[in-house]
Amino acid sequence: MINPSTGPSSKAKVQHMMYGFGDDPNPLPETVTLVEEIVVEYVTDLAHKAQDIGSKRGKLSVEDFLFLIRKDLPKLNRCTELLSMQEELKQARKAFEVDEDKLATLE
Amino acid sequence: MKQSKDPFEAALEEQEESPPDSPVGEDELNSQTPNEPQNQTNGGHNLLVDDDDYDNIGPNIKNPSHPSSSSTPKLHSTSVNANVATRATTKNKEYEDEEEEENVEVELSKFPSSADPAKMAKMQAILSQFTENQMSRYESFRRSALQRSNMRRLLVSITGSQKISLPMTIVVCGIAKMFVGELVEKARIVMTERKESGPIRPCHIREAYRRLKLEGKVPKRSVQRLFR
Repeated sequence: MINPSTGPSSKAKVQHMMYGFGDDPNPLPETVTLVEEIVVEYVTDLAHKAQDIGSKRGKLSVEDFLFLIRKDLPKLNRCTELLSMQEELKQARKAFEVDEDKLATLE
Repeated sequence: MKQSKDPFEAALEEQEESPPDSPVGEDELNSQTPNEPQNQTNGGHNLLVDDDDYDNIGPNIKNPSHPSSSSTPKLHSTSVNANVATRATTKNKEYEDEEEEENVEVELSKFPSSADPAKMAKMQAILSQFTENQMSRYESFRRSALQRSNMRRLLVSITGSQKISLPMTIVVCGIAKMFVGELVEKARIVMTERKESGPIRPCHIREAYRRLKLEGKVPKRSVQRLFR
């Protein structure tokens, strides 16, 4: 499958990921390629389904993806965790910027 | 801050003793030569399934002595100096990567409600007993992530819309990573059933994929894929 969006380093990332999940430290290249293909297909199908759902509401949103994985508890939990962490980081950054401004004005 | 470590792990380090020795930086895995195809699915699986909050327990394995060895773009440049008991995950890294490149130091004095000292303690107990092999694998697990920019490009090309929000890319990257995990774990199960060992082969992955489809974990296309 032609996938223009995977860059040169994506294979390395997938390799490390596979090792982390239980494969050999040096996974077979064919396996890595196959996994990458499968993942792209998975994301494609998922996105299409999300789009179908999202089109009813207007535009595509994160909720649509969350709806799709609602049955898969580990994934759902992980996603909510990621989202809340991202919120936190955003808040943290905002807080920092405010401080920096104050410092700038003081000097 | 010159640190090469995960910001949230940095916070954790403040709270505990010196970290165990780290095998290598995570991108030097290729140069590593561990030759036990140790089946880590047990350890890995537990960690994976334990999706409830186990904050901040990154492996404290970074060597503070080589700040610039983190030449990979994956390693973030921000450091959150704090009593932040939030989870250290690979998503943080990429996130800070893409967002701000300058050094940002943030003081957070509140603990998020997900902090659970009991779980943390349990996690610490487990981590402290890891062998080097296990630790390196765990490190790979935590730090690996799909690239957000690639994912965004893929989503844009699929949906045809440019409006892919950042949370969406983050979520999809997370989902995809867990999917890889499911594939690899199932493939390992298939391998033990067939009493094979060594690196995973494509046939195992295909069998794993087939089983996942039967379980309904893979979205089915209502229309068959005609062209690839």
